[in-house]
Amino acid sequence: MNMFLHELKAYRKFTIIWTLSLVGIIVLFLSMFPSFSQEAEEFKKLMEGFPEAVRIAFGLAVENIGSIIGYYSYVFLYISLVGAIQAMSLGTSIVSKEVREKTADFLLTKPVTRTQIMTSKLLAALTSLVITNLFFITVATTMAFLVETKEYSTKIFLMISLTLFFLQLIFLALGIIVSVVVTKIKSVLPISLGTVFTFFIVSAVASIIGDDALRYITPFEYFDLAYIVQNSSYETSFIIAAIGFIAAAITASYFIYSKKDIHAV
Amino acid sequence: MNVFIREMKANRKSLIIWSIGVFLMVASSMGKYAALSASGQSINDLLGQMPNSLKAIMGLGTFDLSTVIGYYGVLFIYLVVMATIHAAMLGANIISKEERDKTAEFLLVKPISRNKIITSKLSATLVNILVLNLVTFVSSIVMVQKYSNGESVIGDITVLMIGMFMLQLIFLFIGTAIAAISKNPKTATSLSTGILLITFILSVAIDINSRIENLKYLTPFKYYEAKNLLLDGGFDAVYVILSAVIIPVLFSTTYVFYRKRDLNV
Repeated sequence: MNMFLHELKAYRKFTIIWTLSLVGIIVLFLSMFPSFSQEAEEFKKLMEGFPEAVRIAFGLAVENIGSIIGYYSYVFLYISLVGAIQAMSLGTSIVSKEVREKTADFLLTKPVTRTQIMTSKLLAALTSLVITNLFFITVATTMAFLVETKEYSTKIFLMISLTLFFLQLIFLALGIIVSVVVTKIKSVLPISLGTVFTFFIVSAVASIIGDDALRYITPFEYFDLAYIVQNSSYETSFIIAAIGFIAAAITASYFIYSKKDIHAV
Repeated sequence: MNVFIREMKANRKSLIIWSIGVFLMVASSMGKYAALSASGQSINDLLGQMPNSLKAIMGLGTFDLSTVIGYYGVLFIYLVVMATIHAAMLGANIISKEERDKTAEFLLVKPISRNKIITSKLSATLVNILVLNLVTFVSSIVMVQKYSNGESVIGDITVLMIGMFMLQLIFLFIGTAIAAISKNPKTATSLSTGILLITFILSVAIDINSRIENLKYLTPFKYYEAKNLLLDGGFDAVYVILSAVIIPVLFSTTYVFYRKRDLNV
């Protein structure tokens, strides 16, 4: 319990900064929605003049983009990017900081098992992410309510917002397994930024190519927002892949951390 | 000279990884272009009529996607993001790592002035970003020429690469200046990357909502944008002058602050 509370306090500033950033970004983007939807309306009228085939080729994206849900799906890409960086940094640093800041022998000579240490840290990281997501979802829902005059499905909005949490869980697990495997991490930021941006760029490539196999490689493609909007549900195979990955990574982390030689200096 | 050689060696692995990454990015995107160019003209007619904010959503901008160079223009922003992250982290790390790794005392008791140390380090970073720029340049030329059906693309790509180099310089010196000023080595990298992310999100926001276009002077990403460089005939004097002011200011800030600061050994 002590460790859990200590980690929470240690990451308080971190959580606050990232929560404020996410909230700031979504407020900025959603506040621009009214002027944007006006332009989209004008364009949709233009679209009526085009042959059916072309409209289908372009996909429902344009039909939806004028609506709050469509717009939200787009700006959510950047939210996911920022959120993934937060989660990855959190996961990578929370375990490796003992070695990095030379507090490893202090902690490990206390009468707690390594499993207990890992659990406390994991729960603290989880709590930090839950807090961030709670604030984010509240603000996003409020903003959407304020700027959208038409009817929209709050359920779909919520489902899209929740994908941030799932994505962050995946990156948290990834960060933890990386930090446990690598012997000493001098600086967390290059690793987390590099990994996140690599996955992000792979997802940009995958979405243009339309290659299904590539979608399993990058967490950013696990939650296809167009699919969620259309079908009001998540894709089962990807949910299974996500849960599978998180479970495997966390279990492996526990195991490796229990056996690992920790460098006290 | 020794410091220069040592820094080059220390950054060698990172430079190689980033160069490979950039090359893969260019290669895979141009490979996709081959697939895209087969799908025909009608998409272009549709794109011509779209309002700009809608195009920003699609990530298309004002490009003629059926030409190679138009497609490359869209790809350019991703390459710029990669290059600037590399530059910012390189700049911040190379100054702050002495204090982070506790090698500051060793270095500073050598018979070498602080100015000379900074000069050697900055020269090493300049070589690094130049190499990355050249790798991007060569891979772009090779890949784009392959799909370009004979028209010469070298001129356009050169202009884009010069723009990218200016951006790399700006972010490099933002990184070094922040690292030279801040007492805590850990915050230097996060702060530089934070600034980079914020300016990036700002540039995206400006694309979506042209009403806040006046803010474009705040974000370097808007100084050298592909669509300005390719379509509006080259560099905008305002931005070049702005860069010519920003870069020397940050450059001298680095020297001044590092010389005056009490370093944590």
